[in-house]
Parts: sequence; C-alpha cells; structure tokens
Amino acid sequence: MAAEWDSGSEAGPTGDWPPAAAASPVNGKAAPPESDAGASASGSSEAKVDDGNIQEAESSLREGLSLNYEEARALLGRLEYQRGNVEAALRVFDGIDLQAAIQRFQPSLSEKTLSKRSNKLRSDSSNSGSQHAASLVLEAIYLKSMSLQKLGKAMEAAKQCKSVLDAVESIFQCGIPGVMVEQKLQETVSKSVELLPELWKQAGAYQEALTSYRRALLSQWNLDDECCTRIQKRFAVFLLYGGVEVAPPSLASQTEGSFVPRNNLEEAILLLMILLKKFFLGKTHWDPSVMEHLTFALSLCGQTSILAKHLEEVLPGIYPRTRRWYSLALCYFAASHNEAAINLLRKCLNKNESPNDLMALLLAAKICSSNYLLSSEGVEYAKRAVKDAESSDGHLKSVALHFLGSCLAKKSKVVSSDHQRSLLQTEALKSLNEAISLDRHNPELIFDLGIEYAEQRNMHAALKCAKEFIDATGGSVSKGWRLLSLVLSAQQRYSEAEVVTDAALDETAKWEQGTLLRIKAKLKVAQSLPMEAVESYRTLLALVQAQRKAYGSAKNGTEDDENKVSEFEVWQGLANLYSSLSYWRDAEICLQKAKALKTYSATTLHAEGNIHEVQEKIQDALAAYFNALSTEVEHVPSKVSVGALLSKQGPKFLPVARCFLSDALRLEPTNRMAWFHLGKVHKHDGRLADAADCFQAASMLEDSDPVESFRSL
Amino acid sequence: MPNDAPPQPIHSAKDALAALADILGGGFPGSSAAADDPAAALLNDPDVASAVTRRLRGSGSGAGSDSLCRWLYEAFRSNVPELQLAVLRFVPTLAGVYMCRAVTRKALAGFEAVLLALYAHAAAQHGAGEAETVSLPNLANPSPYHDAKVPPKAKPAELDVAVLSPPLEPHGTVRATRRARIVGAVLELYHCKIAHMPLSSKMDFCEFCVAWVGTHSKLDGTDKPRLPPAPDAAGAEKWRRVQLPWELFQPAVRIVAHCLLGPTRSDELKEQAARAAECLYWRATETMEARAVLASRSLVRLSQMVEEPIPEPSFSGAIENMAELEAMRANILSTKN
Repeated sequence: MAAEWDSGSEAGPTGDWPPAAAASPVNGKAAPPESDAGASASGSSEAKVDDGNIQEAESSLREGLSLNYEEARALLGRLEYQRGNVEAALRVFDGIDLQAAIQRFQPSLSEKTLSKRSNKLRSDSSNSGSQHAASLVLEAIYLKSMSLQKLGKAMEAAKQCKSVLDAVESIFQCGIPGVMVEQKLQETVSKSVELLPELWKQAGAYQEALTSYRRALLSQWNLDDECCTRIQKRFAVFLLYGGVEVAPPSLASQTEGSFVPRNNLEEAILLLMILLKKFFLGKTHWDPSVMEHLTFALSLCGQTSILAKHLEEVLPGIYPRTRRWYSLALCYFAASHNEAAINLLRKCLNKNESPNDLMALLLAAKICSSNYLLSSEGVEYAKRAVKDAESSDGHLKSVALHFLGSCLAKKSKVVSSDHQRSLLQTEALKSLNEAISLDRHNPELIFDLGIEYAEQRNMHAALKCAKEFIDATGGSVSKGWRLLSLVLSAQQRYSEAEVVTDAALDETAKWEQGTLLRIKAKLKVAQSLPMEAVESYRTLLALVQAQRKAYGSAKNGTEDDENKVSEFEVWQGLANLYSSLSYWRDAEICLQKAKALKTYSATTLHAEGNIHEVQEKIQDALAAYFNALSTEVEHVPSKVSVGALLSKQGPKFLPVARCFLSDALRLEPTNRMAWFHLGKVHKHDGRLADAADCFQAASMLEDSDPVESFRSL
Repeated sequence: MPNDAPPQPIHSAKDALAALADILGGGFPGSSAAADDPAAALLNDPDVASAVTRRLRGSGSGAGSDSLCRWLYEAFRSNVPELQLAVLRFVPTLAGVYMCRAVTRKALAGFEAVLLALYAHAAAQHGAGEAETVSLPNLANPSPYHDAKVPPKAKPAELDVAVLSPPLEPHGTVRATRRARIVGAVLELYHCKIAHMPLSSKMDFCEFCVAWVGTHSKLDGTDKPRLPPAPDAAGAEKWRRVQLPWELFQPAVRIVAHCLLGPTRSDELKEQAARAAECLYWRATETMEARAVLASRSLVRLSQMVEEPIPEPSFSGAIENMAELEAMRANILSTKN
C-alpha cells in the first residue's frame, strides 16, 4: 500500500490532498448535484455507520481509494467528527492501531529525513506520500482525543493526545524540519501540542500538564508565533495560579549566564515578560490579560518599579494615556517614588485630560497628605474627589473626606497665620467626622481623628478615639497602643500610660518592641524615676544592637522602619537624661556615641549646646545651636534655646530673641517652652498683658504635653 | 495545649477518623465508605467537612478546651502528610472564624494552638530566618524560553531580587500585633497545597474573605454575605471586619486568584472568587495602598475577561476535499449497490 502511495505522489508531486487521481480537484464543486442523485445511497451509508457497520464502509473505501486499513478509518472518522457525530467518530477511530502505523512510517520517513539533511534538493516530492499517510493517521488520533474530550473523558483524551506527540517524536527524531513538513501534518502537530496540557489540566493531572507545557515550549515542534504565544500564556497562568508545586526546568542545555527560573512565580514572570516583548516586536497581537497577569505577579512581590518599566514600554494607542499615567502613578507610589507619582497624576488631572477621574484624584490626595509642602495641593484634589464621589457610593466619598481631612490637618501645620490655622483645624475635624459618619467601620479614620484631636490638645476626645481604635483592631496595630499611651501621658496620667505600654509590650513580639520601650523610658523620665529610665534605655539599646547585628549585614528592605528605633536615638535619649540629672560626663559620652553614628544631627548639636549652656559657656552654646539650625533649618528646640539664651543677654537682644521664639511657635504652636520664654521676653520689655497671655498658654500646655510628639506616630 | 481529656496521640488516618467521630458524636453518614480510605474521607468527604466546619463556626468554638481544636492539633502534629492535608483543608474556616472573633479579644487558645502549630511548620519549611525571595528575570539574559543576543564574555545582567514573604520568626504565643503575620503565613502554607484542597474549602475561604473585608455599604444592599449563620447561636454571629495589612492581604489575594483563575472548572467557585476579588479591591481603595490596589484591580479585570478557548480542529484546508470524499464515498456505495 505504501508503495502505491509513493508512486501516486510521484505522479503528483504537489502533495495536495487527496493525491489519488480518482477524483480530480475540478470535480469538487460538481460533486453535490451528482450525489443528489444518489442521496438515498449516501443516506444509507450513514445509516450503516451509525449502525456500526463501519467495517463495510471501510472496506468499500479501501477498495475504492486504495487506502490501507488505518487510512480508511481515519478518513471515515474524520467525516463523522466533522458532522458532529462524536461518538460514531470515536468508534471508527478505535480501530486504528497507531503503533502499527508508526512502525510503517518510521523507517521510510526517518531515512529520508536523514538523507535530506545531506541533500536538500531531493526534498519534497519523495516522502510526501508517506507524510500524507502519517498525517492522516495522526490527525485521526488527534481527533479521537478531541472526541474523548467532548465526551468528558479528559484522562483518556490526554493519553491519546500524548500518543500523537510521542509518535511525531519517534518519526522525526531530529525535531520537525521546518520547510519539509506538509502543512496538514504541521497543523495536527501544533494543535495536539496545544491541546495536551489543557487535557491534563481537565483531567486533574497537574504534574503531567506542567511537563507537557514544558515539552511544548522546549522541544522543536516548529510552532507558529500565535500558537506558541497561546501556549506560553496558558502556561504562565497555570504557573501563577495553579498552586502546583513543581520542580524548576532542568539546567540541561543551558548556556552560561542564562536565567533559569527556580520556582513557579519566576517562571511565570519570565513567560509574561517574553510575551510582552513578543508583542512589542510585532510578533503577536495585543492581549490585555498578559499585562494584568504581570501586574498581579509583580505587585505581589512588591516590584512595582519594574512593572512601571513594562507599562512605559507599552506602545501608544493601547491604553488611553490618562489610564496609563494613573497605573504608573500607582506603581511609583507603591515603590515610594512619590515625586514621580504625583507628577504623573498632575498630568492626568490636568483640565485638558481627565480632571474628574475619581481614582486619580483620590490617589493624588493620598500622596499629598503625607507631605507638608503638597498638602495645599492635596486639599484641592480631595475637594474635587469629594464632589465627584457625591454621585457614586458613600464608600468612596468617605475615602475622599478622609484624605481631605488629612491634607487639611497637614496644611494647618504650615500656614503662617493663627487664624488660618484654626480655620483649617476645624475644617479637618469636620471632614474626618463626616467621613466617619459615612463609614463607621474604618479604624484608620478613627485613628486619624484621634491624632488630630491630640494635636489640637483635645485630649478627652483623643482618648476616646484611641480606645475605640484599639477595640476596633483588637489591639493588633502598634500605633494604636502608642497613641493611647501618649494621650495618657499628655494628661499626666503617667502610671496609666505605663500600664498601657506594658500591655502593648505583651502584645508585641520582642523584635518590634523598640518604639514602645522608648516611650516607656520617657515615661519613667517624666515620672522622675531616672534609674528605671536608664534601665529601660538599657533594654532598648540591647534590642537595637541585636537588630543591627541581625540585619546589619544583609540589608533587609522589607522590615518596616516605622517600628524601629535607631541606636542613635537611644544614645541621644540617654544623653538628655544624664544632662537633666547634671551628670555631664556621662551625658558627653552618650553624645559622643550618638555623634559617631550620625555626624551632623541637629538633635545632637542641640544637646551639646545645652550642656555648654548649663556650664555657662555661652558662646559655645550659641555656636552649637546655630550649627544645629544650619543642619536643620526648622529645628524648633534649637530656635527656642537660642531665643531663651539671647533673652538673658540683656535688653538689646530681646527683639532677636522674640523673633526666634515666634518663629518656633509658628512651626510648633504647642511648644510650651517657647511660650514660656516668649512670655519672659514680653515681661522684660514691659508688655505685661502679652506676657501674661504667654505664660497662661505655657501653663495650659504643660498640662497636655505628651512625652513624645504625636507626629512620631 | 490545655485540655482535660486524656491526650490521645494520633498516628494514622484511621485513628484520626475514629477520634473525630468520637468528638463529633456519632458516626458520619456514609462512614462505611470512609473506612476504606480514611485520609481521603477526611480530606474530601462532604459530610465530614460540613460537620467539622459547623462545629468550628459554632459559638464557643476555639476555646482552650475545644476538643475539635485538640483533634486538629494532634492530627497535624502526627506528621502523616495526608492528615496534614486534611487539617489544612479546614484552614479557611479556622482562620476565618478566628480573625473575626479575635478582634473582640476573646480567649481563643484552641484556635491559636492549631494556628501556631501550622505556623511552626511553615517556619520550618521556610528555613530559619530565611525570606522567600523571587529573582526577577531580565530579558537581556537568555532563558530556556527565549534567546537573547549576549555579546561574548559580557556579564549577565543583574537580577532584581524581590521578597515575596519575609522571614518567619518563631512565635510561642499569638501576640495581637503579630496575629496577621501568623495567620498570613498559615494561609501561605494553605496556598502551597491548594491544588489538593477540595472545592468547598476554597469556597469557605472566599466567603470569609468577603466577611473580613466588611463591606457595609453598596455591596451589602445588592448581595448579602452568604455565610450561613452559626447554627446554635441565638442570633446569627456577625463576622466582623478584620484588619488587612499587606502580610494578610497578600496571601488572601493569592488564594482568591487561584480560585478565580486556577485550573478548577467550577463556575460557582469562580463567581464567589470574583466577588471576593471585588471586595478586596473595594477595601484596598479605602487606604489607596498601591500594591493592594494594583493586585486586586488586576484580578477584578481578569475576572471580567473571557478565557480564550482551545482551538477546534480546523477543516478549512479540507473543505473541497470533503466534497470529493463525499463524492467518492457515494460513488463507491452506489456502484456497490
């Protein structure tokens, strides 16, 4: 039979199907009317197939077309499949013995493949005949697999499909040669390669699915770009979400310096990046899901700046630019590049682009709320967002009001006039309260409201918020404990504050106790218990040093710094403690230690100045204060100290002193030392009423001075 | 773990099943089938599962004397892999109920003991003090899946290394501020084995995810949370909103992603997961935490995209051949007749 095929193909070297001369291609369109005449006949043949009289039909085919057994079945089965008679097709295909067929094709094909390697000219014509036969049978098995899948027998389907690929591999041992393969055969191969992993997946055989994906992508199947893209995408999705533990691809045949993924996520990201690149090179069509998958994967591991690069590479015309800017801003904000993020959002929210994009407005307001200089801008964004959110649900409006409140609170700290400040503070409270009325379940809102009350020295309300926050979060957020403790300390309820701090320490792992221990030490100082304070600092120091040893070598970016105390702070705190006890030597040693860790620090220089001042080295003290101010222009304690020091130097320095103190109060209106010294300046100058006001302010504030600024939260 | 009952160490799945039947009181319906393969029954049997989850959700569960928690603890500590899988199967309910109740600061020593055992296992898998990292590919380097033109002798381009999950420190008790991390690590452990988990377990997780998010506004109006109320409580227990810091949000969103886009072919699960993804996005916008917004937004978008079907066999190249074949066949058959 094979010989006949060969001779047939010699006659018609084009290799078109069907090669046999029995029906010339011209007849193609004339055929239906002819068969109309014999409609009853063909009808009866179908009936025969349905009845299972396949063998008869098959033998008639074999005789008529000089096909062998397998080929005839393949043809018949295909016909049935095409007509949608899946079960009948299956019955026909069942009779095909693939192994026998392969053995028949194998020698002829592989010999020829080999010989062709040396002599390309002989190529097409000689083996197209057996390729046809092979193609026919392989397609039959592929269709058998499809039929099984349609009948819900995924496992059997997968096995059949796999046998197609095994057969192809054993026939073409050197991979599929690109130019020499008939189109139909290639199509069957590609389809089977693509089908197999999906079948394994449906059958629940995930390891096999994985192997077959890798086999599809790493062997030479001569797949076209679109097909390969689809497989790569499905594989990436499978790796990303399949939840299957797998061994990484083997290192075999890898050149040096090549990237070999170690786990699912790495492999998935690699594939997604390759897919994007393929698109940029114009090899495939754009598929929006690829970018979404990559976004998901990269944001999971926090690598949004890399994601931003990929978003930037997306060709114009795919995303509307404002959408792209917003996404980029999210990426940069997640990577703490706030500057870049806000610049993109400014473009996005420009009146010529989409000024009312609610999500962009919210993000912009959020970014601005963390920066004094941007707070004014943030207020504008937040107000627009509130207006926009009016029409949508209460949730986003509450979010907008929350950010509005935060921005207003920030802005109130930098405005120059008292009047404006109090206006802003009232407004901030109003927004936060309104936000809470819309969303009673958001603890963050309660916390921010608490901070705002505390900053405005409404300790009673602040206390209520702090308690509510701890209740709402079940005490799982450290800053809640700290707020409560600081508020209590501001009410001079030190022992209660200590109880809270101890409770918080109980709920905190050793490693994260730093900030709490610092508060505890300061509470001890405030209660004039220096020895216990030293003890607390000692514990804190041990913790900080242990942390430095653990993380010092390998910088660990994931540890949030918010809960960390630096060693510098500890020495600084100890120095302050010793100098308040007039242990000058100890204080100086601590300051040296602090200096060794951080050479130019306003706090250290200020403390140095303090020591000089107490030792009556006025010039040195002033020099230290000014140095402090030149390292940090807005260092309030230094301004207060300069003011206080100058006010003692005689009447001609009083105006200068007054300047420094007022300046300090502009920056920190609740600084009671500034009020006190300003009062003294007024008194020296003879403005007694003003002096009285200042002293009153100072004494009022003394009752509400926390051991640590609320801003440290 | 405190318990007044005498400890009965569990060594095999059979022990475990027997012990569980004792605890739940009376055999399960269909327990005869369970006897053949107790481990599979514990993992997959719907009756066993619903009996256990009902108990876990019931009021008063999770106390130090809860015998079911004791059973979970012992079963996990038996080091029989199949039993460990069966315990992991209940992680969604365990974590879900625990997180909702822990906010009220009830004593939940039973839950905590199980969670800590799971956490210790996760920490051991991680390796002491090791973070789980991901090296990000750089396409300038070749890989098994693509070629890159690398000039000879050029150094391979530097790779960025990202931390997927920070190191797990040992914890002997659940401190409130580490609660999210501990439960998050347990969820990571669950995610590792998620391919083995039965559908109902994943459904449970998606449901609790919605409860954790605590959507009290728009979403509530259209679609009430479908959590069945705790059966023996006087009123339905209200599952409370839970703090979702990144360390908890990240593993949760990964599990939801699996339910949504993984190879399971259950429309019910996909629907529930899509809802959970929407809720997570909703929650992420509340603080505009960019990572969470990006990840959950992508999931929501992906849930709205249609999956590309597997290509059907094409007969396009063979249409005229078809006609010929028909003709031939008709021909043959008619001559025969």
